[in-house]
Amino acid sequence: MSNSEQTKKPGMTMERRRSLTGWLFLLPGSVLIVWMSFYPMVRAFLVSLMRGKPTALEYSEPLWRNYQYMFKDKVFLTSLKNTFTYLIIQVPVMLVLALIFASLLNQKDLKLKGLFRTCIFLPCATALVSYSIVFRTLFAYDGFINAILVKANLLKEPVNWLNDPTGAKAVIILALIWRWTGYNMVFYLSSMQSIDYSIYEAARIDGASPFTQLTKITMPLLKPIILVTAIMSTNGTLQLYDESVALTNGGPANASITMSHYIYNTTFVTSPNFGYAAAMSFMILIMVAILSAIQMKVGDKR
Amino acid sequence: MKKLLAVLLALTLVLSMSAVAFAAEDGKITIWTWDPNFNIASMKIGADMYHVDHPDVEIEIQEVQSEDIETAVAQAAVAGDLSTLPDIMLCQDNSFQKMVINYPEVYTDITDKYDFEGFGEAKAAYSTVEGRHYGIPFDAGTVVAAYRTDYLAEAGYTVADLTDITWTEFAEKAKEIKEKTGKPVFCTQAGSGDWILIMIQSCGASMFTEEGAVNLKDNEAIKAAITVYADLVKQGIILETNSWDEMIGTLANGSVCGTFNGCWILGSIMATADQSGKWDITNLPSLEGIEGATHYSNNGGSSWAITQGTDVDLALDFMQLYRNVDFYNAILPTTSAIATFAPAKEAPNYTAVNEFMGSPVFATIVEYGMSVPSNITGAYYYDARNAMATAITNYINGADLDSELAQAEDTVNFAMGF
Repeated sequence: MSNSEQTKKPGMTMERRRSLTGWLFLLPGSVLIVWMSFYPMVRAFLVSLMRGKPTALEYSEPLWRNYQYMFKDKVFLTSLKNTFTYLIIQVPVMLVLALIFASLLNQKDLKLKGLFRTCIFLPCATALVSYSIVFRTLFAYDGFINAILVKANLLKEPVNWLNDPTGAKAVIILALIWRWTGYNMVFYLSSMQSIDYSIYEAARIDGASPFTQLTKITMPLLKPIILVTAIMSTNGTLQLYDESVALTNGGPANASITMSHYIYNTTFVTSPNFGYAAAMSFMILIMVAILSAIQMKVGDKR
Repeated sequence: MKKLLAVLLALTLVLSMSAVAFAAEDGKITIWTWDPNFNIASMKIGADMYHVDHPDVEIEIQEVQSEDIETAVAQAAVAGDLSTLPDIMLCQDNSFQKMVINYPEVYTDITDKYDFEGFGEAKAAYSTVEGRHYGIPFDAGTVVAAYRTDYLAEAGYTVADLTDITWTEFAEKAKEIKEKTGKPVFCTQAGSGDWILIMIQSCGASMFTEEGAVNLKDNEAIKAAITVYADLVKQGIILETNSWDEMIGTLANGSVCGTFNGCWILGSIMATADQSGKWDITNLPSLEGIEGATHYSNNGGSSWAITQGTDVDLALDFMQLYRNVDFYNAILPTTSAIATFAPAKEAPNYTAVNEFMGSPVFATIVEYGMSVPSNITGAYYYDARNAMATAITNYINGADLDSELAQAEDTVNFAMGF
């Protein structure tokens, strides 16, 4: 009895010591996350319930006043609509393109693979603001795109792309696709490389066309990674800011303003309203959470 | 490797500590401002002049963009730690009241500490909140209409034909100029609302009432201004560009006949040396049928603020420069920053004929400046400006003006209702 107790005891302390060491290693990271990330989140939530001057915030009456106001705010509703327009058009187009590029570049007998991969990935290495400015210059009234289209007789006179509600949105979507397709392609490419080539060979012997191979072999096997990229892109698009500011400045008449851009305006451009801005950012959080939940439900059948 | 890291760490530590020691030193003035060719250049000249009598005061001028200064003020005020802010910082006139009203703990009330005699009244009003002064006026934003005289001659016009006219007369003449030269007469940035604000201020009207309530939908001056503007845009007399640099580009390329803006635009015009002798300025067309309409207005300009908790006396001693005619005289040739301090117009550089423009334009502008009616900005200026710009764009694209302005007023009231 006492013997077994004695053999048990050191085992317990050993285990406890081990888990203690584990916790000790986790501690610095956890403390930093709680302090730098969770604490500000909680504070931001509290601020989202407040109103008043930035340095004299008070809890509003009723508490959810800021959230209530959001649905009456025409500019916010416009920005919401714009952001979802970007999301619905841009994300699917981009992911499909990324998938196509990835499967093209995954061909075994393709020459200069490295060069093509670099070319498609390169846009990702450009800074958000600088590429936005390049696009703005390209699509300016006397810019490159207009010059080409007019010279090629596709247009009679130059189009003021960025001063047209639809044109401005289209340019932003185009810019986003250019910037992010390569990024998503890399994810697909890396997981495609883990698919055994013999599967494709077997399929080809059975007479499967390249398209069937893509839809019946590649896509099902890539499902988890497609899900990840879809969630990341959705999240990124809902928080879109740089393009709206640097490319179109939200114009014309708020036709291309995004939610994050509007939040920035409420905080720093117009008379500051920290409480309302915080409430709007929590709205984005809720939307990202809901959309991700839906995507997980649809995409992950495990 | 480890050693190198340790050395690097120690080095950063020492450096950051010495930086702290530096900031705490007495007799140092830190200044935040933007634009190396304008504000920074003039502050550098000012610092040199101050050093003649005060050789041991260190003056550090840092380039910080206007919006970054506003963000930094917000952060410092909310954190309750003003030590991150400089002693003196520049603030856009249109933002000044917004900043003081929202962050009163940052700005020093200098009403009884600085002499405001001689500064244009409309200018000083931008940095005044409830009768108290918080800013020292700097550059004028007096609006000028600047024309390419060679293009006008091509169409058979002179600048005199476009002086002291109304907008209707302008539209007729501009149409002919456009037909004959094949170029738009003016160029402006789309969706900025600049023109409308210039036009309504020329009548002494504002987007707000004296009591601070928003006044858009029943504002005759705004309606008249928007109608005139939209008509000129539709006729192609005004070209709307999407960005500021694109607009400056049209001036440099000579693809428009002129510009209509705050007098600081002359800096950009004079930067293109090959256009020397081809420009001249005049006053603006006036709005017809609006009470108090004049040919003078204001767009832009900024004023200096002094941070609370710093060595205010030292900062104010330095800022006496802005009551010194020699200073304004010295900065004019390199920066073309035009004073709002009335005695400066007698300075030799002001009365001299400007080579580029062919006339003493700067004295003319100071004179225009004295006739500019003042307007009301308040804390919600940018809210109203953004809402109005939306209304203008929608109106140009075919919406109904009255309902657009009513909606803009709702938007501002919404923001004010928080």
